[in-house]
Amino acid sequence: MSHSLNEIEAMSKRAARGAGLAWGLAEEAAKGTRWLSAFSFPGTEMLAGLLALNDRLPAVDFSPSTLNGNWSAPAGRMSPLIAGAAMSDCAVRMEQGQVIEMENVSFPLLVVPFAGGAALRLGVPVSVSWEGAKLTTDGQRLCVQGKREAILVSHAARLSCAAPAEMTGQSEPVMRAEVDESAWQELGEFAHRTYAPATESSRLLGAGAGLSDND
Amino acid sequence: MTQVSCRDPNLVMRLARLGSIHQSRLSFMRILTRRMAREGWRFEQTEFNIDDTGVGHAVYTAFGPERAYSLIAYAHDLPAEKRSDRVIAEAWDATFTLFDGIPTADDIERLSHNIPVQEAGRVSGSELSVSRANRSVRLWEHVVSALASGGQPDAAQLDAVGYLMRTTAVYGSGKLGAADREMIAGRPEFRVPFQVEMLSVYLTRWFVRDLVQYMADCRAQASGKTAATLAPELARSLGIGNSTGLGMAPFLLNHPVLFSNWVAAREVALQRVRGVETASAKEIAIFQDIFARNTRSVANWHSEHPVQLEKLAALHADVDMIAAKLADEGLADRYPWESLYQWSAQALTVEGQEWLVSLLLEPYGHLVDDLAEAMSADNTATFRIAGAMTVARLREVLQDVYGWALATDWALPANKARAWYVSEEKLEPRLGERFEEPIEEYEQPLAPGRDATQLFAALAHWPDETPIAEFLLRHPEHRHSVRRAQIANRAPYAEIRDNTISQDVLPIDMLRCKLAFFGAMHFDPRSDRWVRICMYGNAPYPEELSLRDGDFWVYPDVGPDATRDAAPNAGEG
Repeated sequence: MSHSLNEIEAMSKRAARGAGLAWGLAEEAAKGTRWLSAFSFPGTEMLAGLLALNDRLPAVDFSPSTLNGNWSAPAGRMSPLIAGAAMSDCAVRMEQGQVIEMENVSFPLLVVPFAGGAALRLGVPVSVSWEGAKLTTDGQRLCVQGKREAILVSHAARLSCAAPAEMTGQSEPVMRAEVDESAWQELGEFAHRTYAPATESSRLLGAGAGLSDND
Repeated sequence: MTQVSCRDPNLVMRLARLGSIHQSRLSFMRILTRRMAREGWRFEQTEFNIDDTGVGHAVYTAFGPERAYSLIAYAHDLPAEKRSDRVIAEAWDATFTLFDGIPTADDIERLSHNIPVQEAGRVSGSELSVSRANRSVRLWEHVVSALASGGQPDAAQLDAVGYLMRTTAVYGSGKLGAADREMIAGRPEFRVPFQVEMLSVYLTRWFVRDLVQYMADCRAQASGKTAATLAPELARSLGIGNSTGLGMAPFLLNHPVLFSNWVAAREVALQRVRGVETASAKEIAIFQDIFARNTRSVANWHSEHPVQLEKLAALHADVDMIAAKLADEGLADRYPWESLYQWSAQALTVEGQEWLVSLLLEPYGHLVDDLAEAMSADNTATFRIAGAMTVARLREVLQDVYGWALATDWALPANKARAWYVSEEKLEPRLGERFEEPIEEYEQPLAPGRDATQLFAALAHWPDETPIAEFLLRHPEHRHSVRRAQIANRAPYAEIRDNTISQDVLPIDMLRCKLAFFGAMHFDPRSDRWVRICMYGNAPYPEELSLRDGDFWVYPDVGPDATRDAAPNAGEG
């Protein structure tokens, strides 16, 4: 079904929160999923896969142990949201020519939106590459190299982020996204955890005008 | 005296002041009507297919310079027991969508299965908004029966309510599958925020006038009579109501850059007017005319809510004081507005001060109207965290933006008595009692002051020179607060500098603030978390837009009966 990008962002934020991510990371997950969806990638499917994989597990287990050297996570797989956010936070390092190398990244495509943010901050394109895939973005447009299977893998042994990178054969974002129904439903189930159960007192006290509307 | 700076965010961004803001030249409704009048928009009722029970649909099209937009209205027969203004309602008196262009019969048929059920339906990128409205039961019946029996409705009753229907939600920006704002934000007519929603409501008011007339005609016909036509001046006095709950409050917190741009536009406008060295005779005449008309508008503002009654009494007294000041001393020859503003800041209540701020802008369209273009926001650049910022610098920013919060004792239950949450019932935003209801685990991040204080405490033992990226790697739970602090550091009016979860918080302050930017008037709180307002009251209808004032319509003309209402409050009698 066709969805607006705002719907995707709102659903992704709630779902990420429902799966236990901190609010700030849930915001990142939402912006990233929206961004990928605007480039016709199955962002919602990737996010649903990631949330299921690390459901309510401690973020620190999937975070880079240190921002020095190659980034790796104690649990042996790295969250692309946490690592991507850290990469964006450290964008100035790439300006100084440093390549940010990561090991064992889950759903590597979810790192790419953060390269978009980093590119906007640096003012030069940033590339993200892993085996068989290289995606380069200036924040506005995306240049995709590699086969679809390689791009959509659920795990990358090594991943590199570098700037400045060259943009060739760019694609522009679109404003609607086709969303896989089962992924949408999975996200909906995660999101549902953030909603307070309906109770009579909540219904009466939580929002109401306290007066009749038949006047 | 020539150097007038913008007001300090620590003054402006308090809830009591934000909750005292009034509509102005920079309100979204007035920006829209000015544009439509200036560009000569053309309007047409292209379909009115409604039966004598009031059920059916109608289409109203607005033709701008390059594009057309159509309101598709579905009218329903709603049993009284189903009439609720809450988000959790499932049926309404009328439902609407603003269509991008002119709908085909297929579009109308497709939407007839989706618009009447609102949140339970789906729309497409061709639809720009989805909304619904309920009747004011008493006024609707009064108007239908008066017209059907050949007479006119009672003006006092129209004034007391102000509208025949009130919208209970106007969704835009991609909700329910509608077009994202980004799809249309490049069009000149939609660059300013909420123009889609304001256009939808403007056309809704037209439909409602036609519908009430049609229902009166049907009732008269049934008894072999002919109904009277609603007198144009009575019709014009009617706006569209709006009934608003907590949904608007999170909006202001969730769109800090956008909100900052709204407030900044108004503050820069005030700064420019305060900087005017000498006022021309024409500018003074406009000020005095609008002052008199606005005074009358205040007299027509009714509420039964104790908080609002108190504010209204204060406003009446403030208006009297302004009138007396102008009568006794007149305006200063040099920097007249700065002088009046400085006086008001000492002499008037916050409600009166903000009323005057809006008034001061009125003669100065040529100085301030361009600021409307700066009221939208692209969040892309501000969303990213600058991870190279040092811990020391972040501490400074926190002390600057959240000074009030750092001085608050968050251990006191009274200072965090409330929690914002979302109910599973149609995702209705609610506010609950943290210590009395099982809601804390569902709390939304809508207490930036408390969260910033926690961030400040977590930073205490980190070295000054550490980049914030290192801190965030260990503390993702503070990521949203770091982002907000960095945003507020760049956008001065981004953050509400007040406690949004205290036991004393009045969510209606946030609702009113947003509604005032829309252009709403006559705020009538129904509780501490619910407010009714009126939009487009006194506005020209589409067919009059080229003939009447597309700008100052907000203020009623001071006609022969004006003194009757105005005198007791204006102190001019």
